[in-house]
Amino acid sequence: MRRLTLPAAIVLIAIGIFSFDSCTGSKSKAAGEASKAAEAARKPAPNFTLRDENGAAVSLADYKGKVVLLNFWATWCGPCQIEIPWFEQFEQQYKSQGFAVLGVSMDDDGWQAVKPFVVTHKVNYRILLGNDSIGQLYGGLDALPTSFIIDREGRLAYTHVGLAGKNEYLSEIQSLLASKAQSAASLGVAAAPALLVGAAE
Amino acid sequence: MLLLLPLCSWAQQNKLIVTPPEMITAKRGATVKQTLRVSVLPGLHVNSDKPKDEYLIPLKLTWTGGPLETKSVSYPKPEDIKVGGQELAVFTGSFGIETEFKVPENASAGTTNMTGKLRYQACNNEMCFRPASTEVKLPVSVE
Repeated sequence: MRRLTLPAAIVLIAIGIFSFDSCTGSKSKAAGEASKAAEAARKPAPNFTLRDENGAAVSLADYKGKVVLLNFWATWCGPCQIEIPWFEQFEQQYKSQGFAVLGVSMDDDGWQAVKPFVVTHKVNYRILLGNDSIGQLYGGLDALPTSFIIDREGRLAYTHVGLAGKNEYLSEIQSLLASKAQSAASLGVAAAPALLVGAAE
Repeated sequence: MLLLLPLCSWAQQNKLIVTPPEMITAKRGATVKQTLRVSVLPGLHVNSDKPKDEYLIPLKLTWTGGPLETKSVSYPKPEDIKVGGQELAVFTGSFGIETEFKVPENASAGTTNMTGKLRYQACNNEMCFRPASTEVKLPVSVE
């Protein structure tokens, strides 16, 4: 009995330390966490409706048939600022091929904080104001940036938590753009219920 | 393992730890200094009190209640780091924030608390966590 107790305790402590380290979000590697869903296993991206800076309601379902880079960010997030120029370039380069970037700001201070940032950084893609409801819809969003690349069928194809590589994004976008769009009837995103979570500011 | 789960839950909310300060004892009219010890979790940094980018949220200690008057709050010299080409002024590991208090002449004698909050924003090299505040309580004995 005593022989088993010590190794078991060591294993439990090791697992515990590993779990604790993981949940702090601290990592020493250069890139964030990324995941790819096999095409057959892709799940519909949860639909939502948020407001843009002009107060217009924008739904993810409006983008059916397009490849969408859905980026959750905030003005106070340094790594997010690194990605923004890449996204501006992607928007410009691939817009004509059916691609769009949607930036959802998670700033608690709302447009007061976001608008000046968007002007200063000359953001050329659509920015929406998010809140906790959309955060929950997309898994909590404890860390930013968190980005999802959504295929033409409105399904989650790639997920990046934390700063990802520019070339990684590029290759994922190109691969999804290369796949043919299916009929509108099969679009998972259109079938998902819309949730109006826009902050009126 | 189960015993460590509460630690995990705690870690998801707090990226830094404030060591509960010891009681300070001071006479009416005196000036006293107190250093609050703060530890940032390994692998993380928090923005300094003067971040290099105007959009980044600074570390800020604010005393909100209690018998003492706050004269000044002093932060240590930040560490300059570079993340993805972005220059940052941050605090990592353990450091102290010094507050200078004045005990008012009309302060009531006895033991009570100064209360405050420490607002911070933590990141690692790949991601940032939502800005957060932690409550601070400093026991004070006025003689």
